[in-house]
Amino acid sequence: MQLLEGTQGFNIIKQWLLQKNREPFTFQSGTWQHIINGESGLVNAPTGCGKTFSVFLGALIDFINKHPDDYQIQKKIGLKLLWITPLRALAKDIGRAMEEVIGELGMGWKIGIRNGDTDIAERNRQKKQMPEVLIITPESLHLLLAQKGHAEFFRSLHLIAVDEWHELLGTKRGVQVELAISRIVGLTPQPPLLAERGSCISESRMYPMVWGISATIGNLEEATSVLIAPLSARRGVGGEASQIVKADMNKQIEVESILPDEIEKYPWAGHLGIKLAYKLIPIILESKTTLIFINTRGMSETWYQTLLNVCPELAGSIALHHGSIDMELRTWIEENLHKGTLKAVVCTSSLDLGVDFRPVETVIQVGSPKGVARFLQRAGRSGHSHDAISKIWFLPTHSLELVEAAALKNAMAQDVVESRQPMMLCYDVLLQYLNTLAISDGFVPESTYDEIVSTHCYKDLSQEEWRMILYFITQGGQALQQYDEFRKIEIEDGIYRITSRKVAMRHRMHIGTIVSDTMMKVKFMTGGYIGVIEEYFISRLEPGDVFTLAGRHLEFVMIKDMTALVRKSNAKKSIVPSWQGGRMPLSANLGKMLRATLDSVSQSAVGSRQSTVSIVTPSVAEGRQSAPDSYRDGSQQIIGSSPLTIHHSPLTKHPELEILRPLFDLQEELSHVPKENELLIEQIETKDGFHLFVYPFEGRLVHEAMAAILAFRISRIHPITFSFAMNDYGFELLSDQPIPVDDTNVYELFTPDDLLNDIQRSVNSTEMARRKFRDIAVIGGLIFQGFPGEQKKARHLQASASLLFNVFSEYDPHNVLLRQAYQEVLDQQMEEVRLRDMLNRIQHSNIVIRFPQQLTPFCFPIKVDSMREDLSSEKLEDRVRKMQKQLVE
Amino acid sequence: MQNPILYTLHHNSFWVSPERCLFWEEENTLIVADLHLGKSGHFRKAGIAVPQGIYKADLQRLMAQLYLFKVDRLIIVGDLTHSTENKELDLFIRWRKDFSLLHIDLVTGNHDILQDSWYEEADIKRLEWKLVIPPFIFLHDLKSKKKLAVNEMDLYAFTGHLHPGISIKGSGKQSLRFPCFYFAKEYCVLPAFSRFTGTYIVDPEKDDTVFAIVEDRLVKL
Repeated sequence: MQLLEGTQGFNIIKQWLLQKNREPFTFQSGTWQHIINGESGLVNAPTGCGKTFSVFLGALIDFINKHPDDYQIQKKIGLKLLWITPLRALAKDIGRAMEEVIGELGMGWKIGIRNGDTDIAERNRQKKQMPEVLIITPESLHLLLAQKGHAEFFRSLHLIAVDEWHELLGTKRGVQVELAISRIVGLTPQPPLLAERGSCISESRMYPMVWGISATIGNLEEATSVLIAPLSARRGVGGEASQIVKADMNKQIEVESILPDEIEKYPWAGHLGIKLAYKLIPIILESKTTLIFINTRGMSETWYQTLLNVCPELAGSIALHHGSIDMELRTWIEENLHKGTLKAVVCTSSLDLGVDFRPVETVIQVGSPKGVARFLQRAGRSGHSHDAISKIWFLPTHSLELVEAAALKNAMAQDVVESRQPMMLCYDVLLQYLNTLAISDGFVPESTYDEIVSTHCYKDLSQEEWRMILYFITQGGQALQQYDEFRKIEIEDGIYRITSRKVAMRHRMHIGTIVSDTMMKVKFMTGGYIGVIEEYFISRLEPGDVFTLAGRHLEFVMIKDMTALVRKSNAKKSIVPSWQGGRMPLSANLGKMLRATLDSVSQSAVGSRQSTVSIVTPSVAEGRQSAPDSYRDGSQQIIGSSPLTIHHSPLTKHPELEILRPLFDLQEELSHVPKENELLIEQIETKDGFHLFVYPFEGRLVHEAMAAILAFRISRIHPITFSFAMNDYGFELLSDQPIPVDDTNVYELFTPDDLLNDIQRSVNSTEMARRKFRDIAVIGGLIFQGFPGEQKKARHLQASASLLFNVFSEYDPHNVLLRQAYQEVLDQQMEEVRLRDMLNRIQHSNIVIRFPQQLTPFCFPIKVDSMREDLSSEKLEDRVRKMQKQLVE
Repeated sequence: MQNPILYTLHHNSFWVSPERCLFWEEENTLIVADLHLGKSGHFRKAGIAVPQGIYKADLQRLMAQLYLFKVDRLIIVGDLTHSTENKELDLFIRWRKDFSLLHIDLVTGNHDILQDSWYEEADIKRLEWKLVIPPFIFLHDLKSKKKLAVNEMDLYAFTGHLHPGISIKGSGKQSLRFPCFYFAKEYCVLPAFSRFTGTYIVDPEKDDTVFAIVEDRLVKL
């Protein structure tokens, strides 16, 4: 092994850094050492601290070491470094930074960019002569693989870097990256070939290295092994171990909650945040630039308006950034963020990724960030020098969310971060990929199968499934023999190819895995493009209706050529579009931290118990867990003797919990604050009927599924119908008759036994699968969206996903894409694994059933959410006020 | 299978079948719309692997209805075929030969774009845009009613083209959509016969009659 220090490449790079008054960070030189060793792995570093250079400079050092005498004059030597990035917008900045280094080192390398924005001339130049570095998106990489003779592009490739791997992992774009790596590794010339050319590199060195760059996630090791799986498979067990280099930057993060002056004991989601908006103004005014993260596009529109109303002086120096806003406008905002000319930007996850905006000093998170990793990432958007403290403000949208702030702090103290689960067996992406190979040089099933199962995603793909997939792409599934003209992939001399130019062109248009809803452009009557909006929202508008987009009030005039035409409006009121999706559930980790945080509250305040108390202990004897000691404070006293006295201990060290004290006291008085090893169930009778509230703190998706399963299981005991409501903390079953849940049957009702069957019987998984099928059908090539500007010609090939779903369900029920839709429902919609974990946890905890005489602080937000569906927002506000008043009196 | 439901118009008896067609008793005629024959074949030819079983099933359903009502005549109010010619249509031609005594009228729809020779071979009488059998008239698209002469205006029109569907609100937030027969005062819109078709949601007036096709049953709304 060659030591990094002392190599010519290292000296040159070190000198270059010194000229800039910089020194390599330990994680950078660590990565360089691994790269000159020819190893693969992953760099774990936050944005904005030189992660790009860790891999890029490593590749340069390696190159210089191999060409010590002529590294400066070597040019047009073909692709050396392939840089995969999820964001088009990042490419330019990264490219510029790389070009600067190359220029200052006096090297002849070219840096190329290839993505949807790259023009044809540039692409053709690249085809003739690949630049030494190519920055590319996963989609464009697959388009490159769709070209004839693509093997030539990668012949001299030395290193594949995958930037922001944490963002790609767990998505279908990540699967595209896995497949592309498996292909490039598979294309690596065999040793004899090289030997003929007089090379003497050992076999293990011939494959390109693969390096991921990732922010902190809970499963870095898995993330690494997913990325380099094709290499590991080639080298066999006992091949070189992958390397994980962690940047020990120890970035300090300070979280401060914006506390309401008065705590509502009956919280509800939706209005508190806006009421606190005035408290943001001094924060915004005091710092250079502030990013305000809002969870949904709809709410970001509302917030933008509110901030302008509260502080009109901000007009002109505040902007709104979300996924539906015109690309040009977004680019303008991003440029001004760089320049520091904007005071504040209200944004959604649209600014989660990407380059660092140096002027950003302050970050505000409005509402629950739903997960620890996301919160950390957003916090990291402020305070850029690596020793600066990143400060993030948390503004709750209802008072209980303050518990989340405390839980987030605890999570950070304990380094609890979410994992990203890699996706498995995505047949849709595989079908698309096979078509991609078929339009390039074609493929041979045997060797392609080996390549595909070398990826993590398809490692469990059986021969049987493989045959089904080949049958589907060559024969088109069920057909009427002599009356069929199915034509897609044809077999010539054992090679699977697409020969029809039309089919090939159509496929090329459809490479990619990001399926957006049908969006409609929004334009002024006088011209001028504002943004895009979901078609279904527009379809519900009448001419004259006023809605908000990009912070403007717009009056809807008409639809013309798939464009919604609008004019400016001075109306005071407008409809804020609710964009579909974007409602992330609370992560499992944050849920766990929430339960632990509540435990500390519960331990510190013990009130009197009402007479209608029953504590149920599990019937299972073994394996019961109690709360870990770390959440308990030894100094506390638990005294429950005198009625209605509450003993406070200093345990609630977070101001967020301190201010919520009255709420917890009320909760404890009426019902109970659950400890970590408890599941709280409340049964309440109101004039609406009989309510059953359950608080697992597992996020709304799990709650939705659990509510349906529980309802099904109860109805087996006794015929009864329910309506459901849920939020991230718990769920409600409501019925017009008493709900037969008590200590005799509650453990049985929450059993993990027979879970799959009960899911199938209780949840309308067909409808859920139908919704999932849309993306799958587009990715898998069943839905043809037409060529841009040519929609009409393809009219005879239009069929909606829903219709195709019906047709396949009836006439080809074993179709792999259909199967995938149901599997995705289980994995993503129901979070089956998490559901099962929850039920197992509940089996080993104490289930506490309470019968409060009135609604409690915990159940109130769920109750309000269940009313939300049938009421307008103003009426809802009135109703809620009345309810709050009645309850407090 | 549920029995057809009688619907009377101008003293004529029309039997509404849950198999998406109407039987006109007085004329011993079956009325259908939007068969879109060859649609799955058209998709398959373009490399989109729609199972062909749906086409076969459509043909079999049509055959079953013809046998059930023992009709002499079939009126198609447009869109017999889906697109340009393909092999799937050969199956129809073969099938047509088994029903050689059946008279078929086709009111041309926007999808009926095949060569005249094909209609000749299939022994189908093609009408340019309307078929008048007083007091009724058969059109493809309801919109072409405007083009009618004054003396034809009062005729009751049977039309297709729209693929009407009705949305029924279920429990919770769910709403389900079903294909439907739509009877208004002066016209009727038939559901698309082919099951490989989508639906366009109609918004009925108070006096209109709608038969939703739920699975294989008719539900009068």
